[in-house]
Amino acid sequence: MKKIVGAAAASLALFAGTALAQAPSDAQIASIVVTANQVDIDAGKLAESKGSNAEVKAFGKQMVTDHSGVNKQAVALVTKLKVTPEDNPTSKSLKSGGEDNVKNLQKLSGAAFDKAYVDHEVAYHQEVIDALDKTLIPSAQNAELKSLLVAVRPAFVAHLEHAKSLQASLAKKS
Amino acid sequence: MPRAARRAVVAAAVALAASAVPGLRGAAAAEGSRTHEIVIQGLQYVPETLKVRRGDVVVWTNKDPFPHTATAAGAFDSKSIAEGRSWRFTAKRAGTFPYICTLHSTMKGTLQVE
Repeated sequence: MKKIVGAAAASLALFAGTALAQAPSDAQIASIVVTANQVDIDAGKLAESKGSNAEVKAFGKQMVTDHSGVNKQAVALVTKLKVTPEDNPTSKSLKSGGEDNVKNLQKLSGAAFDKAYVDHEVAYHQEVIDALDKTLIPSAQNAELKSLLVAVRPAFVAHLEHAKSLQASLAKKS
Repeated sequence: MPRAARRAVVAAAVALAASAVPGLRGAAAAEGSRTHEIVIQGLQYVPETLKVRRGDVVVWTNKDPFPHTATAAGAFDSKSIAEGRSWRFTAKRAGTFPYICTLHSTMKGTLQVE
């Protein structure tokens, strides 16, 4: 378990570290946003089907719905702005971190799955909020892209709170 | 048709007629009933606190790209309001009703009914 959490933390730390190294362009930010949402959609789909606790399953389902909604909005905006999302070290590390997370979760079941999924959700949402505050929002050049990032930030905060309260209730049960 | 079902059909027909006939809407307005709008955007209810009178209608419109609810335990519950959709509620009972989004517990609003 420690190993799994460690791997997740390492991939997330990479995300924040790379993001801080250099200011991303709007095209890179677009790719980071879409990838960040997509990895949480993938994990959420897994939790929806593989989670054992009903609240964990419901949370996974909500992550799929909310992050799909954000992505739809983000894609519509970058299409309108004629910005082509550009791969970059941050989006690549996010993608591989998300894939590692899913691989790890696939090996688990029952309460161990629930805990690993929720622990990762807490860390993931915290890292995305940090990246939004320290890198993505300050770096965004286009005003509409910047306001989209500002508008979606509260969703990540609400998800973080939700994940933390799930984490606490799972800890009580174990 | 069972009585309950017949009543539902009649109620639906009356509601349809009321929304279709401007005169009926006007009649409600003449009695002093008002319609208030609350916009849900960026995970906030705007305005966060709304004061209305009994009989007034409150409409929550969700402008976020994912669902929300407006839920005051024991008083009202919109259930899921999808992106771009609205939920309409007639405030019949006086009181102060704090409400939340059951999907995003960081969202809080208050409806005051006088």
